[in-house]
Amino acid sequence: MLKDYTESNTFKKLRDTSGRVPLIRQPVFLIASCVALVLYGSMLFWASGEGLVIRIALSVFVALLVTWTGIIITDERRGERLKTSMVFLVLAVLVLLFLEFHVTNSEEIIELFFNITVIKKAWPYLVLGFKTTISLAFMAALVSTVIGLTLAIFRSFDNKVLNFFIIAYVDFFRAIPIIVLLMLIYYGLPFLNIRLSAFASGVLGLGLNSGAYVSEIFRAGFLSVSKGQLEASRALGMTPWQTMQKVALPQAFKAVIPPLVGNYVASAKDTALCSSISIIELLKAGTAQQSLNANPSPLIFVTVLYLILFVPLTRLCGYIEKRMKKTQRQITV
Amino acid sequence: MDPIIRVESLHKSFRDLHVLRGVSIEVNRSEVVSFIGRSGSGKSTLLRCINRLEEPTSGEIWIDGVNIHEPYIDINKVRAEIGMVFQSFNLFPHMTAIDNIMLAPVCVRKISRQEAKERGLSLLEKVGLAEKANEYPEKLSGGQRQRVAIARALAMQPRIMFFDEPTSALDPEMVGEVLDVMAQMASEGMTMLIVSHEMGFIREAADRVLFLDEGKILEEGTPDDIFNRPQFPVTRDFLGKVL
Repeated sequence: MLKDYTESNTFKKLRDTSGRVPLIRQPVFLIASCVALVLYGSMLFWASGEGLVIRIALSVFVALLVTWTGIIITDERRGERLKTSMVFLVLAVLVLLFLEFHVTNSEEIIELFFNITVIKKAWPYLVLGFKTTISLAFMAALVSTVIGLTLAIFRSFDNKVLNFFIIAYVDFFRAIPIIVLLMLIYYGLPFLNIRLSAFASGVLGLGLNSGAYVSEIFRAGFLSVSKGQLEASRALGMTPWQTMQKVALPQAFKAVIPPLVGNYVASAKDTALCSSISIIELLKAGTAQQSLNANPSPLIFVTVLYLILFVPLTRLCGYIEKRMKKTQRQITV
Repeated sequence: MDPIIRVESLHKSFRDLHVLRGVSIEVNRSEVVSFIGRSGSGKSTLLRCINRLEEPTSGEIWIDGVNIHEPYIDINKVRAEIGMVFQSFNLFPHMTAIDNIMLAPVCVRKISRQEAKERGLSLLEKVGLAEKANEYPEKLSGGQRQRVAIARALAMQPRIMFFDEPTSALDPEMVGEVLDVMAQMASEGMTMLIVSHEMGFIREAADRVLFLDEGKILEEGTPDDIFNRPQFPVTRDFLGKVL
């Protein structure tokens, strides 16, 4: 006999609760507490002085506001517009509070952090540093691709001895912090009478590190090419090398582009570490100008330049990933 | 006349699994030989051993009088003479149909791209897919993919064709189009080794049927012998299930 599920206990419970809106999700509650918050907040702003009471009251205010925003933006019944305005409200309140209590003089701030004269003076150096950063990133990407691809190809031959060395390489360079690696190359190698320029050391260090990741990415790419593909190619009389070149690599490449680009971008950000071995890249140029002018404005500007460089790049990664997913339908061919 | 394929006491083990337990066969030129048997009886492994996609554990294989396990043999040259059609098609997804077909003739036979293209187009026409030359495999149906795969194998102008369950991955309505192409090849005198469960087709097209059971050839004969007068209970049992 079929059980009558509509009358089962679970369903009854669901029906009971579904009709009832919890208090904190009711509009009355929302409006009332919003009004309370506004009153509370405005009271605080008119109160002057920085006594303990005010500070505690402020903390409570902010905590309440944030909790409220949390409740609202997790509620599916609320509209997107309300959620967005809540978030902006919180941000506005936080900024206002910050300006009110932590900034005594806004002109001083501009003078300190957004000093146009200092930035103008530092500009040519920062541009030079920016160029160095880009060429570092580019060269490192090149080196890492050569290393990674070579390792992955040898790895795909599945020879035990080769595998041992490749795995050792990957483990070593993934485990060692990049900055340590850079120090070793730049300050350690000269004792073996290997003298590399700062730039070459930077490229080598970043390349060796990123190469370990790239080899793992390519390996995953090769593994994504099915055994049947390789067999079909070999059965046609193609040599292992031809099979690699014409069948495995093109397919693997397609699969690895999204993670590969992501890795290049991540590795490009690591160029900032090269400032530790006296390469005058963007960060180093920024810090140098900062101490020269005794003003942190160049650093702020460096941050902006990094953002200008990397926000589009990270966006690009996301875009490529999305595109690849669209075209890569899972099919057995 | 010498047999084109001669296999002597072939054994193949995958670790503990003894798949082939001493198989000996001879295949003559232009003969169509079909292997039947339950799954796991070693039919596919046998084919894959003959072109060394699997290394046999022991045994000897001669193709056209050449022992393919001799150290001086270039296995790629041997494979170039053996076309192989897989159950899962294994077309190269990053190439169009015509590029799939042209790849090996250009890379292995070293013929010009122009010549390879002409050969490829005429083969596509032969399998009835001339208008699909520039399609990527994902745009083709299963039956069309398998026909392109057959054209790809034929483009190498092989002397022998292996079919490893060519229709098992196809929707029923597409089986016919693939079998038609195979029947045409058989009638043109191609030497064919076929692993298949399409008993109707085997009865029509095969010259000889071999029944494999537990890694050995249990029974062999004309389709008529095997299908109508099976000698062993195992064969009878198997045929009773598939016919």
